Amino acid sequence: MEKEILEHGLNFNRRRFLSTMSLGLGSVALGSLMIPGLLNGGDREESGLTPGIPHFAPKAKRVIYLFQNGAPSQLETFDYKPKLCEMYGMDLPPSVRGEQRLTGMTANQATFPLAASFANFKQYGKSGTWISDIMPYTSKIVDDICVVRSMYTEAINHDPALTFLQTGSQQGNRPSMGAWLSYGLGNENKNLPDFTVLLSRGIGNGQGVYSKLWSNGFLDSIHQGVQFSKGEDPVLYIKDPAGMARGERREMLDQLAQLNQMSYEEFGDPEITAKVKQYEMAYRMQTAVPEVMDLSKESDDIVKLYGPDCLVPGTFAANCLLARKLSENGVRFVQLYHQGWDQHGNLPFEIKSQAKDVDQASAALVTDLKQRGLLDETLVIWGGEFGRTSYSQGKLTPENYGRDHHPRCFSIWMAGGGIKPGMVYGETDELGYNIIKNPVHVHDFQATVLHTLGLNHEKLIFKHLGRRYRLTDISGKVVRDILS
Amino acid sequence: MNKKWRGIVEQCVLISAVFLVFLLAFEDQIVVPVWLQSFGRLHPLVLHFPIVLLVLLMAWEFFRFNREASPWIDTAEQWVSDAWIVGATLTGMTTIFGLFLSKESGYSGDTLFWHKWTAVSLFIVFSGTYWLRNLSFYHKLNSRLLIGLISVLLISTGHFGSELTHGDGFVLEPFQQGKQIYLEDALVFEHMINPILQNKCVSCHNPEKKKGELDLSSKEGILKGGKSGKLFVTGKPEISLLLERIHLPLEDKKHMPISGQPQLTDEEKMILALWIKGNATFTKKVLELPVTDSLRIIGNTLFNSVLDEATNYDFSEASQETIDELTNEYRTIAKLAKNSPALRVHIFNKNEFNSKKLEELVAIKKQIVFLSVAKMPVKDSDLLTIAQFENLERLELNFSNITAKGLLALKTLTHLKSISLSGTQMNYLDLQVAMQGLKKLQAIYLWDTPLTADDLKALSAKFKTVQIIGGFKDDGKNPLKLNPPELRNTSTIFDTEAPLTLFHTIKGVEIRYTMDGTPIDSVKSAIFDGKVKINSNTRIRARAFKAGWIGSDEAVFEYYKCAITPDSVTVVLPLNRVHKANGPKSFFDRDLGTFSANAPAWANFWTGVRNNDMELNLNFKTPKTISIVSLRIMEELTTGIFPPQSIEIWGKTSANGPFKRIHIMKVPVPKETRFHELYAIDVKFKPTLFSEMKIIAKPLEKIPQWHGAKDKRALLLVDEIFLN
Repeated sequence: MEKEILEHGLNFNRRRFLSTMSLGLGSVALGSLMIPGLLNGGDREESGLTPGIPHFAPKAKRVIYLFQNGAPSQLETFDYKPKLCEMYGMDLPPSVRGEQRLTGMTANQATFPLAASFANFKQYGKSGTWISDIMPYTSKIVDDICVVRSMYTEAINHDPALTFLQTGSQQGNRPSMGAWLSYGLGNENKNLPDFTVLLSRGIGNGQGVYSKLWSNGFLDSIHQGVQFSKGEDPVLYIKDPAGMARGERREMLDQLAQLNQMSYEEFGDPEITAKVKQYEMAYRMQTAVPEVMDLSKESDDIVKLYGPDCLVPGTFAANCLLARKLSENGVRFVQLYHQGWDQHGNLPFEIKSQAKDVDQASAALVTDLKQRGLLDETLVIWGGEFGRTSYSQGKLTPENYGRDHHPRCFSIWMAGGGIKPGMVYGETDELGYNIIKNPVHVHDFQATVLHTLGLNHEKLIFKHLGRRYRLTDISGKVVRDILS
Repeated sequence: MNKKWRGIVEQCVLISAVFLVFLLAFEDQIVVPVWLQSFGRLHPLVLHFPIVLLVLLMAWEFFRFNREASPWIDTAEQWVSDAWIVGATLTGMTTIFGLFLSKESGYSGDTLFWHKWTAVSLFIVFSGTYWLRNLSFYHKLNSRLLIGLISVLLISTGHFGSELTHGDGFVLEPFQQGKQIYLEDALVFEHMINPILQNKCVSCHNPEKKKGELDLSSKEGILKGGKSGKLFVTGKPEISLLLERIHLPLEDKKHMPISGQPQLTDEEKMILALWIKGNATFTKKVLELPVTDSLRIIGNTLFNSVLDEATNYDFSEASQETIDELTNEYRTIAKLAKNSPALRVHIFNKNEFNSKKLEELVAIKKQIVFLSVAKMPVKDSDLLTIAQFENLERLELNFSNITAKGLLALKTLTHLKSISLSGTQMNYLDLQVAMQGLKKLQAIYLWDTPLTADDLKALSAKFKTVQIIGGFKDDGKNPLKLNPPELRNTSTIFDTEAPLTLFHTIKGVEIRYTMDGTPIDSVKSAIFDGKVKINSNTRIRARAFKAGWIGSDEAVFEYYKCAITPDSVTVVLPLNRVHKANGPKSFFDRDLGTFSANAPAWANFWTGVRNNDMELNLNFKTPKTISIVSLRIMEELTTGIFPPQSIEIWGKTSANGPFKRIHIMKVPVPKETRFHELYAIDVKFKPTLFSEMKIIAKPLEKIPQWHGAKDKRALLLVDEIFLN
């Protein structure tokens, strides 16, 4: 608000100043016509962006991000390290770790015994990608996905790492990836939010997710993620109050809009317009949401594809099915979080159960999008916030071990819109500790995601408090090798 | 030129200079309005004038101090001076136009930077010289220095500018080799195999060197082989010499490329093997290989498709007004990208849909390249409208009401590359006729249609260049296990009677259950019919069954009767700091706890004590007769959560009377570890009238000797109390 008042004053002064100047400065006035930012403080023009229009032709139109919260171990899923079997129980050679920091949870361990994966790996598909046997369904879709084994991050703990991946900054208060997309690309379907969030949890050791992860940050609040919950009211407070007919609701909104317009004219606060837009969106969502959330009409084949849990609200499988439906209906960014991947101990048991929760449904989502012809225009991302150590946290026994946080490398996969299928990118060393080929920083990953959507990450900017912000902050380069 | 005009032109140069400085200072914020963009685009035209003028002037100026004075020279000098200031104006204009042009997309990078700054410098130096050239210090040496500087700037500016328009190294390009190969042009041998041979083999095996009498630089040489024989047997990579040599251990003398030379990567080895396996073609294009061929799949990842870049369409843009007019809440129209005339159209909400919604789009029929009407009640007659969208590339018709016959209308869509027909009524005969009309088709999606697997195979065979995508259809070969039945009740604790509300989310599931604690028999156990009532503590065991599925695991539900609820509860001795749950309210809130420490039900519902007794006072406004007190507890021996060692019940019959012990119950200590469980411990005594009751549950003081934490105090966890 203060910004607007200041802006108003400045505009007034600027105009007076310019109108009193002559010849030489007249040309400045001409020039100022070409600087929209100088006169109305607009930021969109500066980013070369008109809402709903990408910078260049996009491959993907929408994103479904299957976030595996807690950080699944790459060594039991996608990064096969036979050398760990050879060196089972031996101490991690100090030369491998060098001076890198450890988290508080294992920093005081006397030894770092290397732990081989309890799960077995095989090569699958035409691409011959190595996948562990706790992911039997994912192994069937390897030719549709691109596994990136060389992701790395800067954060060492869950919350900062998660925030970093979602907002490009560890500290929070920045817009989430979904909010940036909503800002950059606008609505596809005006009856549903651009950015929705679905939560689920497995029995594994869990870590919190907070609404700051789907925050709009400094962007207009219409870009905020809307959480759909599992109960009877997936979107809270959307129903008409008891006794109010839809027609009355309409009239009420119209009157309210008039009042809001008056106060907008008086104060000029853009949040007022945002609010009116949200009322209208909520009104249309009243009919659109129940239709999307209704799983009762899904065919038997779909239930078998996603697995029986897909009809149990609040499960990852149900959320995957909903994600498909939301995405199919034009929601730009569907963010899933599945909690419970923080296997500091008891890893073999917990990770098996976690994998069972997500494996079938994740693969099903890719298959389902593909069979509808939607995979080409939908980017599906699967992965956590960092990796896990190749040495055991706590006691290493043949049956049981744990793994600590490891930011130096982790594996994710991407599929669909603009990503090369049947590909493995990047490589870690024999012990799965450091990256030896094609590292992908979190900002690189974000730049790549934006690129597939037709957005130049260096141009998707918002000016706030005198500084221009990007999802990728001041770095990030598009990983062109994985683009199709 | 008279004085007045000269003054005006000089002013022009000055204004240009100020304007230019301004533009440069605010460059990052400038957005050129449309009407000025045309001026910017004149830059490549206008620039020729100053170049010619400047070259001539430099030539003239170079010999200025060598000439004898004469009237003719004086007149010419006048002209030169005029030309100089006009040249300066033109240079200024050109520079400003150039700046406008640079604001349009597509220009960036170092070249632009150098072009811009050399041009600006040229303008300043050249204009400055206009005023300097008649001053006294401007003699032969200084003038030639300035001429040299101006010439260098002029040439550099021109050079950088031409690099911008024609690309880096344009002039020398004919001498350069190598250009981007697009997937559409890529040949299997030329672009996948040959580069490997060139990079890793030909340095030794060429016509000059011919190590091992082998020449890999030509097709003939490759086919001929070397001293040890032919290189490969087509179709049989496993017995091919080439691959054998490549795969020998590095130490082996015969391993190729010889140790110390760059080795083949795994991918390169794979490509060579696949090439030989696929009969070692020298002529085929990558895209001529079958869609599922491994070599083609690798090729897909090696080469970019030329179509990716095809954002340039030759049709005109639709007016923004038309687009805005056609856009509404249920019909989204968006540009494919900035500066692209192509449009994407997405229609939502089947209740709002009718044929008119499509017909209105004829106004932008040229521009639509993407249309989604999935799940809309689109009929065959609507396809006639769609058939007018001549530049359509992708069409989504999933779950619409069209038929294969209707698709015949689409043969006018000569750019159609991809069509989704999942969930529609297709039949093979009509579809294959319709597909013959779609010449550019690359992909067709036919999941959930009446087409059989054989139909799809036949289509694949018939249309080799089209990807036929069927999708998932359950063949019953890998049945899945059902998930267990669930319970609809919000609480399984009741006063007098409660309905049994088993349900399952999958339609057509049969739920079998028992109420006497016996295991489920998939044939004999009762089938749940929704009419069962429960009126005492009951353990329900239930499983779900359905044909084509594996029966579910067992679900167990405990129903508890709690006929009497106290009017108030007081916790006399403190609860553990981390096991306070909801305080005194926890015991009769009808919320049962669970095991998972992750679930909110764990932290919120379990009250616990370890270092003191759990002592509760229950108050009844009107005295109640009670004969059973049940404590529902958690037992998880491995983590030290044990049942209490004893439970005492004390009572008062009137508010003022003393507490009297009614009953004490010793709970047996577990003799060995066992699987964790949640259950109720019943304390039964003769029916007694209570106006106040005290319950004292003592946690186990010494964990038994067989346990890892022997002799320590055990934790007691209670979530609910039932009074009957």
